[in-house]
Amino acid sequence: MRTLLPALALWIGCALGVAGQENAAPSAKPATEGKVWGGLVFATNDGTELTGSQEKAPATLPQLNTRLSKVFDFKHFEILGQHHQDIFREYESWVVPSRDLFLKIDSNGPADRGGVKLHLQVWREQQVLVKSDAVLRPDSPLFIGGPKWKGGRLIFVLSLERK
Amino acid sequence: MKPPSEEHDLIRWLDGEMDETERAAFEARIKANPALAQEAEEMRALSAGIRAHLPAEMAVPHADFFNSQIQVRIGQMEIDEARRREAVAPVLGSLLSWLRQSWLTAAGAVAVAVVAFLSLRPSSEDAHSLILSSYTPSAGVQTVTFHDDNADATVLMLDGLEEVPADRKISGISISRSETEPEMASTTLFDAAGSPQLVIFRDAAGNPQFWASKPRG
Repeated sequence: MRTLLPALALWIGCALGVAGQENAAPSAKPATEGKVWGGLVFATNDGTELTGSQEKAPATLPQLNTRLSKVFDFKHFEILGQHHQDIFREYESWVVPSRDLFLKIDSNGPADRGGVKLHLQVWREQQVLVKSDAVLRPDSPLFIGGPKWKGGRLIFVLSLERK
Repeated sequence: MKPPSEEHDLIRWLDGEMDETERAAFEARIKANPALAQEAEEMRALSAGIRAHLPAEMAVPHADFFNSQIQVRIGQMEIDEARRREAVAPVLGSLLSWLRQSWLTAAGAVAVAVVAFLSLRPSSEDAHSLILSSYTPSAGVQTVTFHDDNADATVLMLDGLEEVPADRKISGISISRSETEPEMASTTLFDAAGSPQLVIFRDAAGNPQFWASKPRG
Protein backbone atom coordinates (compact mmCIF):
# COMPACT_ATOMS: atom_id res chain seq x y z
CA MET A 1 0.00 0.00 0.00
CA ARG A 2 2.81 2.35 0.95
CA THR A 3 4.50 1.95 -2.42
CA LEU A 4 1.23 2.55 -4.21
CA LEU A 5 0.87 6.01 -2.71
CA PRO A 6 3.63 7.66 -4.76
CA ALA A 7 2.24 6.12 -7.92
CA LEU A 8 -1.11 7.55 -6.97
CA ALA A 9 0.57 10.91 -6.26
CA LEU A 10 2.24 10.83 -9.67
CA TRP A 11 -1.11 10.03 -11.29
CA ILE A 12 -2.71 12.91 -9.36
CA GLY A 13 0.22 15.10 -10.38
CA CYS A 14 -0.36 14.20 -14.02
CA ALA A 15 -4.06 14.91 -13.63
CA LEU A 16 -3.31 18.23 -11.92
CA GLY A 17 -0.84 19.11 -14.64
CA VAL A 18 -3.45 18.54 -17.32
CA ALA A 19 -6.15 20.28 -15.31
CA GLY A 20 -3.77 23.15 -14.57
CA GLN A 21 -3.16 23.68 -18.25
CA GLU A 22 -6.87 23.56 -19.03
CA ASN A 23 -8.40 25.39 -16.08
CA ALA A 24 -5.55 27.04 -14.12
CA ALA A 25 -7.44 26.65 -10.83
CA PRO A 26 -5.34 27.97 -7.93
CA SER A 27 -4.53 25.41 -5.22
CA ALA A 28 -3.72 26.12 -1.55
CA LYS A 29 0.06 26.46 -1.20
CA PRO A 30 2.00 25.82 2.00
CA ALA A 31 3.73 28.83 3.57
CA THR A 32 7.21 29.50 2.22
CA GLU A 33 10.37 31.31 3.36
CA GLY A 34 11.64 32.15 -0.12
CA LYS A 35 12.82 30.38 -3.20
CA VAL A 36 16.10 28.75 -4.18
CA TRP A 37 17.74 27.77 -7.40
CA GLY A 38 19.78 24.57 -7.32
CA GLY A 39 22.00 23.45 -10.15
CA LEU A 40 24.19 20.42 -10.70
CA VAL A 41 27.35 21.41 -12.55
CA PHE A 42 29.95 19.19 -14.18
CA ALA A 43 33.43 20.71 -14.08
CA THR A 44 36.11 19.27 -16.33
CA ASN A 45 39.29 20.15 -18.21
CA ASP A 46 38.48 17.71 -21.00
CA GLY A 47 35.96 19.27 -23.37
CA THR A 48 35.25 15.91 -24.99
CA GLU A 49 33.73 14.68 -21.72
CA LEU A 50 30.97 17.34 -21.71
CA THR A 51 27.50 15.86 -21.99
CA GLY A 52 26.06 18.45 -24.36
CA SER A 53 23.49 19.74 -21.86
CA GLN A 54 21.90 23.02 -22.93
CA GLU A 55 20.84 24.16 -19.45
CA LYS A 56 21.50 27.84 -18.68
CA ALA A 57 22.05 29.53 -15.33
CA PRO A 58 19.29 31.93 -14.28
CA ALA A 59 19.74 35.66 -14.90
CA THR A 60 19.85 36.18 -11.14
CA LEU A 61 23.16 34.30 -11.04
CA PRO A 62 25.36 36.15 -13.55
CA GLN A 63 28.73 34.86 -14.74
CA LEU A 64 28.31 31.58 -12.95
CA ASN A 65 31.01 29.78 -14.92
CA THR A 66 33.53 32.55 -14.29
CA ARG A 67 32.74 32.54 -10.61
CA LEU A 68 33.04 28.76 -10.42
CA SER A 69 36.43 28.93 -12.15
CA LYS A 70 37.70 31.17 -9.32
CA VAL A 71 37.18 28.33 -6.88
CA PHE A 72 37.47 25.14 -8.93
CA ASP A 73 40.51 24.71 -11.15
CA PHE A 74 38.70 23.52 -14.30
CA LYS A 75 38.25 24.95 -17.81
CA HIS A 76 34.70 23.85 -18.58
CA PHE A 77 31.56 24.10 -16.45
CA GLU A 78 28.35 22.55 -17.70
CA ILE A 79 24.97 22.73 -15.99
CA LEU A 80 23.52 19.23 -16.10
CA GLY A 81 20.23 20.01 -14.39
CA GLN A 82 18.48 22.72 -12.42
CA HIS A 83 15.60 23.19 -10.06
CA HIS A 84 13.66 26.26 -8.86
CA GLN A 85 12.17 25.35 -5.51
CA ASP A 86 10.07 27.03 -2.82
CA ILE A 87 11.48 26.75 0.69
CA PHE A 88 8.53 25.43 2.63
CA ARG A 89 8.21 26.79 6.15
CA GLU A 90 6.81 23.64 7.74
CA TYR A 91 7.74 20.88 5.34
CA GLU A 92 10.99 19.60 3.95
CA SER A 93 11.88 20.88 0.49
CA TRP A 94 13.75 18.87 -2.11
CA VAL A 95 16.06 20.41 -4.68
CA VAL A 96 16.60 17.79 -7.36
CA PRO A 97 18.49 18.92 -10.45
CA SER A 98 19.48 15.27 -10.79
CA ARG A 99 18.45 12.01 -9.18
CA ASP A 100 22.16 11.30 -8.66
CA LEU A 101 22.97 14.29 -6.47
CA PHE A 102 20.28 16.31 -4.74
CA LEU A 103 19.50 18.33 -1.67
CA LYS A 104 16.99 18.30 1.16
CA ILE A 105 16.27 21.63 2.82
CA ASP A 106 14.54 22.40 6.12
CA SER A 107 13.89 26.02 6.91
CA ASN A 108 15.01 27.37 10.29
CA GLY A 109 13.35 30.73 9.65
CA PRO A 110 14.56 34.11 8.42
CA ALA A 111 18.13 35.16 9.24
CA ASP A 112 18.71 38.28 11.34
CA ARG A 113 20.20 40.46 8.61
CA GLY A 114 18.52 39.08 5.52
CA GLY A 115 18.39 35.67 3.96
CA VAL A 116 17.17 32.44 5.47
CA LYS A 117 18.57 29.92 7.94
CA LEU A 118 18.59 26.41 6.52
CA HIS A 119 19.45 22.88 7.47
CA LEU A 120 20.89 21.25 4.37
CA GLN A 121 21.44 17.62 3.53
CA VAL A 122 23.33 16.67 0.39
CA TRP A 123 22.25 13.25 -0.85
CA ARG A 124 23.91 10.97 -3.34
CA GLU A 125 21.19 8.46 -4.18
CA GLN A 126 20.54 6.69 -0.84
CA GLN A 127 23.48 8.17 1.06
CA VAL A 128 23.77 11.45 2.95
CA LEU A 129 27.10 13.03 2.07
CA VAL A 130 26.93 15.98 4.44
CA LYS A 131 24.54 17.67 6.83
CA SER A 132 25.01 21.36 7.33
CA ASP A 133 23.47 24.40 9.00
CA ALA A 134 23.79 27.47 6.84
CA VAL A 135 22.58 31.00 6.27
CA LEU A 136 21.75 31.57 2.63
CA ARG A 137 21.62 35.15 1.39
CA PRO A 138 20.64 36.63 -1.99
CA ASP A 139 23.42 37.19 -4.53
CA SER A 140 25.73 34.96 -2.50
CA PRO A 141 25.55 31.41 -3.85
CA LEU A 142 26.76 28.32 -2.08
CA PHE A 143 29.17 26.11 -4.06
CA ILE A 144 29.29 22.53 -2.80
CA GLY A 145 32.24 20.58 -4.18
CA GLY A 146 30.94 17.04 -4.67
CA PRO A 147 32.39 13.76 -5.92
CA LYS A 148 34.82 13.34 -8.80
CA TRP A 149 33.47 12.05 -12.09
CA LYS A 150 35.22 11.36 -15.40
CA GLY A 151 38.36 13.17 -14.31
CA GLY A 152 36.31 16.21 -13.38
CA ARG A 153 34.06 17.06 -10.48
CA LEU A 154 30.36 17.42 -9.75
CA ILE A 155 29.43 20.69 -8.09
CA PHE A 156 26.13 21.60 -6.51
CA VAL A 157 25.22 25.29 -6.66
CA LEU A 158 22.52 26.65 -4.37
CA SER A 159 21.34 30.24 -4.62
CA LEU A 160 18.62 32.17 -2.82
CA GLU A 161 16.44 34.01 -5.27
CA ARG A 162 15.34 37.54 -4.50
CA LYS A 163 11.65 37.92 -3.72
CA MET B 1 36.49 7.44 52.92
CA LYS B 2 36.75 10.53 55.13
CA PRO B 3 34.52 13.50 54.41
CA PRO B 4 36.41 16.54 53.04
CA SER B 5 35.70 18.54 56.20
CA GLU B 6 37.43 15.90 58.35
CA GLU B 7 40.45 15.86 56.00
CA HIS B 8 40.62 19.64 56.22
CA ASP B 9 40.39 19.59 60.02
CA LEU B 10 43.16 17.01 60.21
CA ILE B 11 45.50 19.17 58.15
CA ARG B 12 44.68 22.26 60.16
CA TRP B 13 45.28 20.32 63.38
CA LEU B 14 48.67 19.08 62.14
CA ASP B 15 49.67 22.57 61.01
CA GLY B 16 48.68 24.08 64.34
CA GLU B 17 46.09 26.34 62.81
CA MET B 18 43.30 25.52 65.29
CA ASP B 19 42.51 27.73 68.23
CA GLU B 20 42.23 26.27 71.71
CA THR B 21 38.55 25.40 71.54
CA GLU B 22 38.76 23.82 68.06
CA ARG B 23 41.82 21.80 68.97
CA ALA B 24 40.17 20.41 72.12
CA ALA B 25 37.07 19.44 70.18
CA PHE B 26 39.08 17.80 67.41
CA GLU B 27 41.26 15.86 69.81
CA ALA B 28 38.10 14.62 71.50
CA ARG B 29 36.93 13.35 68.09
CA ILE B 30 40.29 11.60 67.60
CA LYS B 31 39.93 9.79 70.90
CA ALA B 32 36.44 8.65 70.01
CA ASN B 33 37.36 7.50 66.48
CA PRO B 34 40.15 4.88 66.27
CA ALA B 35 40.42 5.14 62.47
CA LEU B 36 40.82 8.91 62.65
CA ALA B 37 43.34 8.49 65.47
CA GLN B 38 45.42 6.11 63.39
CA GLU B 39 45.37 8.43 60.40
CA ALA B 40 46.31 11.39 62.56
CA GLU B 41 49.25 9.47 63.99
CA GLU B 42 50.47 8.38 60.53
CA MET B 43 50.26 11.92 59.16
CA ARG B 44 51.99 13.38 62.18
CA ALA B 45 54.84 10.87 61.80
CA LEU B 46 55.13 11.68 58.09
CA SER B 47 55.14 15.40 58.76
CA ALA B 48 57.80 15.02 61.48
CA GLY B 49 59.98 12.93 59.14
CA ILE B 50 59.83 15.59 56.41
CA ARG B 51 60.66 18.38 58.85
CA ALA B 52 63.61 16.39 60.21
CA HIS B 53 65.21 16.13 56.77
CA LEU B 54 64.63 19.70 55.57
CA PRO B 55 66.08 22.74 57.35
CA ALA B 56 63.46 25.27 58.39
CA GLU B 57 65.55 28.14 57.04
CA MET B 58 68.23 28.31 54.34
CA ALA B 59 70.86 30.96 54.03
CA VAL B 60 70.85 32.97 50.76
CA PRO B 61 74.15 32.30 48.98
CA HIS B 62 76.25 35.42 48.41
CA ALA B 63 73.70 37.58 50.26
CA ASP B 64 75.74 40.77 49.98
CA PHE B 65 76.03 40.53 46.22
CA PHE B 66 72.29 39.76 45.94
CA ASN B 67 71.30 42.82 47.99
CA SER B 68 73.66 45.13 46.11
CA GLN B 69 72.22 44.02 42.75
CA ILE B 70 68.67 44.82 43.92
CA GLN B 71 69.75 48.30 45.01
CA VAL B 72 71.43 48.93 41.65
CA ARG B 73 68.31 47.86 39.81
CA ILE B 74 66.04 50.12 41.93
CA GLY B 75 68.36 53.07 41.27
CA GLN B 76 68.31 52.42 37.53
CA MET B 77 64.48 52.32 37.50
CA GLU B 78 64.32 55.71 39.27
CA ILE B 79 66.66 57.28 36.72
CA ASP B 80 64.63 55.83 33.80
CA GLU B 81 61.38 57.20 35.26
CA ALA B 82 62.86 60.70 35.66
CA ARG B 83 64.11 60.74 32.06
CA ARG B 84 60.67 59.61 30.77
CA ARG B 85 58.93 62.47 32.63
CA GLU B 86 61.37 65.03 31.15
CA ALA B 87 60.81 63.73 27.60
CA VAL B 88 56.99 63.69 27.81
CA ALA B 89 56.46 67.14 29.36
CA PRO B 90 57.25 69.37 26.28
CA VAL B 91 55.36 67.07 23.89
CA LEU B 92 52.32 67.15 26.15
CA GLY B 93 52.44 70.93 26.30
CA SER B 94 52.58 71.39 22.52
CA LEU B 95 49.82 68.80 22.06
CA LEU B 96 47.52 70.74 24.42
CA SER B 97 48.12 74.04 22.58
CA TRP B 98 47.48 72.29 19.22
CA LEU B 99 44.21 70.87 20.54
CA ARG B 100 43.06 74.38 21.47
CA GLN B 101 42.93 75.42 17.77
CA SER B 102 39.35 76.03 16.56
CA TRP B 103 39.54 74.13 13.26
CA LEU B 104 40.15 70.95 15.18
CA THR B 105 36.61 71.03 16.56
CA ALA B 106 35.17 70.70 13.05
CA ALA B 107 37.68 67.99 12.15
CA GLY B 108 36.72 66.11 15.31
CA ALA B 109 33.06 66.21 14.34
CA VAL B 110 33.89 64.79 10.91
CA ALA B 111 35.97 62.03 12.48
CA VAL B 112 33.10 61.08 14.80
CA ALA B 113 30.73 60.94 11.81
CA VAL B 114 33.12 58.68 9.88
CA VAL B 115 33.51 56.33 12.83
CA ALA B 116 29.71 56.19 13.28
CA PHE B 117 29.23 55.45 9.55
CA LEU B 118 31.80 52.67 9.60
CA SER B 119 30.35 51.10 12.72
CA LEU B 120 26.80 51.15 11.33
CA ARG B 121 27.79 49.63 7.98
CA PRO B 122 27.11 45.89 7.81
CA SER B 123 30.28 43.83 7.95
CA SER B 124 31.16 41.70 4.93
CA GLU B 125 30.16 38.60 6.90
CA ASP B 126 26.62 39.93 7.20
CA ALA B 127 26.30 40.24 3.44
CA HIS B 128 27.20 36.77 2.24
CA SER B 129 26.02 33.24 2.87
CA LEU B 130 27.52 31.31 5.77
CA ILE B 131 28.14 27.70 6.64
CA LEU B 132 27.54 27.50 10.39
CA SER B 133 28.31 23.82 10.89
CA SER B 134 28.69 20.66 8.90
CA TYR B 135 28.75 16.95 9.64
CA THR B 136 29.71 14.07 7.39
CA PRO B 137 28.40 10.63 8.38
CA SER B 138 31.22 8.89 6.45
CA ALA B 139 34.45 8.83 8.43
CA GLY B 140 36.68 9.32 5.39
CA VAL B 141 34.97 12.48 4.20
CA GLN B 142 36.25 15.89 5.29
CA THR B 143 34.66 19.28 4.80
CA VAL B 144 36.37 22.60 4.22
CA THR B 145 34.32 25.80 4.25
CA PHE B 146 35.38 29.28 3.23
CA HIS B 147 34.17 32.39 1.45
CA ASP B 148 35.82 33.25 -1.84
CA ASP B 149 35.74 37.01 -2.44
CA ASN B 150 36.68 36.70 -6.12
CA ALA B 151 33.80 34.33 -6.80
CA ASP B 152 31.56 36.11 -4.32
CA ALA B 153 30.45 32.69 -3.14
CA THR B 154 30.57 30.56 -0.02
CA VAL B 155 32.20 27.20 -0.56
CA LEU B 156 31.59 23.87 1.14
CA MET B 157 34.21 21.48 -0.20
CA LEU B 158 33.70 17.76 0.34
CA ASP B 159 36.93 15.82 0.08
CA GLY B 160 37.40 12.08 0.34
CA LEU B 161 34.13 11.17 -1.37
CA GLU B 162 33.95 7.97 -3.35
CA GLU B 163 34.39 8.76 -7.04
CA VAL B 164 31.41 8.27 -9.34
CA PRO B 165 32.29 5.53 -11.85
CA ALA B 166 33.17 7.00 -15.24
CA ASP B 167 30.71 4.72 -17.01
CA ARG B 168 27.86 5.95 -14.84
CA LYS B 169 25.59 8.32 -16.73
CA ILE B 170 24.74 11.41 -14.67
CA SER B 171 21.62 12.96 -16.12
CA GLY B 172 20.03 16.20 -15.07
CA ILE B 173 16.44 17.37 -15.10
CA SER B 174 14.87 20.80 -15.21
CA ILE B 175 12.31 21.53 -12.51
CA SER B 176 10.33 24.75 -12.32
CA ARG B 177 7.94 24.13 -9.46
CA SER B 178 6.75 21.53 -6.98
CA GLU B 179 3.65 20.54 -5.08
CA THR B 180 3.90 18.86 -1.74
CA GLU B 181 1.30 16.48 -0.35
CA PRO B 182 1.80 16.44 3.44
CA GLU B 183 -0.69 13.63 3.99
CA MET B 184 1.09 11.40 1.53
CA ALA B 185 4.54 12.72 2.53
CA SER B 186 5.37 13.16 -1.11
CA THR B 187 6.43 15.99 -3.40
CA THR B 188 5.69 16.14 -7.10
CA LEU B 189 8.15 18.06 -9.27
CA PHE B 190 7.02 19.74 -12.49
CA ASP B 191 8.97 21.03 -15.47
CA ALA B 192 8.48 24.44 -17.12
CA ALA B 193 5.64 23.08 -19.25
CA GLY B 194 3.80 21.93 -16.13
CA SER B 195 4.38 18.25 -16.76
CA PRO B 196 5.18 16.15 -13.68
CA GLN B 197 8.70 14.76 -13.84
CA LEU B 198 9.28 13.13 -10.49
CA VAL B 199 7.54 12.20 -7.26
CA ILE B 200 9.74 12.07 -4.17
CA PHE B 201 8.72 10.11 -1.13
CA ARG B 202 10.51 8.42 1.75
CA ASP B 203 10.70 4.67 2.22
CA ALA B 204 10.30 2.85 5.53
CA ALA B 205 13.95 3.58 6.38
CA GLY B 206 13.48 7.31 5.75
CA ASN B 207 15.53 7.31 2.56
CA PRO B 208 14.27 9.30 -0.43
CA GLN B 209 12.79 7.36 -3.31
CA PHE B 210 11.77 8.58 -6.74
CA TRP B 211 8.97 7.75 -9.06
CA ALA B 212 9.68 9.10 -12.51
CA SER B 213 7.25 9.78 -15.30
CA LYS B 214 10.02 8.87 -17.73
CA PRO B 215 12.73 6.23 -17.40
CA ARG B 216 16.19 7.39 -16.38
CA GLY B 217 17.79 8.99 -19.45
